[in-house]
Amino acid sequence: MSNQFEYPEDREKRNAAKIKALETLLIQKGIITSNSVDTVLNHFETKKGPFNGAKIVARAWMDAEFKKRLVKDTAKAIAELDDLPEGMTGAESEHVKAVANGDGVHNLIVCTLCSCYPWSVLGLPPYWYKDPTFRSRAAREPRAVLREFGLNVSQEIEIKVWDSSAQIRWFVIPERPEGAENMTEAQLVELVTPESMMGVALPKIA
Amino acid sequence: MKLQHYLGGLEDLGPVSTETRVFVEPWEKRIFGIHAAMMALSSHLDDGEKTSTFHNKWTWADLRTGAESMNPFDYFKYRYYEKWLGGISSFFIDEGYITDEELNELTEKFMTNSEPDFPSKEDNATDARIEQYLIEGDSPRKPIEPSYQFFDGQTVSIKDPPSKGHTRLPGFLRNKTGIIDHVYEGAYGYLTDIEEDGIGPGMPVHCVKFDPKEIWPGNTEDNFYLYADLYEAYIK
Repeated sequence: MSNQFEYPEDREKRNAAKIKALETLLIQKGIITSNSVDTVLNHFETKKGPFNGAKIVARAWMDAEFKKRLVKDTAKAIAELDDLPEGMTGAESEHVKAVANGDGVHNLIVCTLCSCYPWSVLGLPPYWYKDPTFRSRAAREPRAVLREFGLNVSQEIEIKVWDSSAQIRWFVIPERPEGAENMTEAQLVELVTPESMMGVALPKIA
Repeated sequence: MKLQHYLGGLEDLGPVSTETRVFVEPWEKRIFGIHAAMMALSSHLDDGEKTSTFHNKWTWADLRTGAESMNPFDYFKYRYYEKWLGGISSFFIDEGYITDEELNELTEKFMTNSEPDFPSKEDNATDARIEQYLIEGDSPRKPIEPSYQFFDGQTVSIKDPPSKGHTRLPGFLRNKTGIIDHVYEGAYGYLTDIEEDGIGPGMPVHCVKFDPKEIWPGNTEDNFYLYADLYEAYIK
């Protein structure tokens, strides 16, 4: 069947040209500077990213008391760690809350209205999280959605889906994977992915 | 009724995307950077230090209101950052910062010449303000002690305020019943006052637990619960 609903071939080229035009005009008019966009992007490469969340989760795996404090008062527990960058309660992370997998519960985070995401802990949301299909289906059929991510959550495990509709930015503390008992904290950090901290994957030993 | 508010539970959408990249085209980074800079330079955070000519209030509420007022069928046609590019460009034109003509003319120029010649304009106060916003954020918590109307474990009903513009109430929860899982300490405002919707001023926020079987009877999964953070204005 012929497809009459294709986008024009120059769709991406036109988008790219338009953003260059917009940024140029905003600089010319003194709204932003020629460094403003790069200032933002550099901040996300160095200070806000999943590398922070991975350290937080690895510490929770090493220290059960820390994990309890992390669930009880997330911001206060994060502030205990001295190897995180400044701004852990900065933009889009002013009020973060961690939920822990385990004890018969699996957690999944969604934002059905938009794409709320804990920037300081996890950086910027990946495309799957922003996609309307995930936002729709996670609310009604999370097990089916997780299967498509390659994760089978048995019927005995209760699934809790957290819809980020107000001030809280949620993230998941996954369980320490089997076989990771003797790993160092630095090795554990490497196992923690953004997807495991949103509940669509589990940490795996490569 | 705005379809954008009712995403939760839609059927026949096909498989989810498992794309883990944040940006799928290099240009998308630039529109994200512009939006973040606009939030940092918003008039409601102006400390008098910045020299930027930006004089509007710009928050998530503005970006979301724009996305929620799109034709809903168009909303699903465009990729995430394409909506941002269209919405933010329209904002700057509507507010008179730039014109349609100059944006189109320059876009055509870049269609043939791929190298942007960004004018070199440096201004450390403006970029320092951007960095400061990213580090400090813009908390919605208000310095008032609210009187709490609802308590942990209480069964509550969700209101159905008019959704003419923007809301933070997911549509599929309207007129449903839930149980207060926990009440957050303190009062939280919203980025803008939405009169007919009821949010804006500082008020308690509640994490409310819903049984999906009551929302979608016979058409959901077992052993699963849905939790949503809801402003007091949405609860009765």
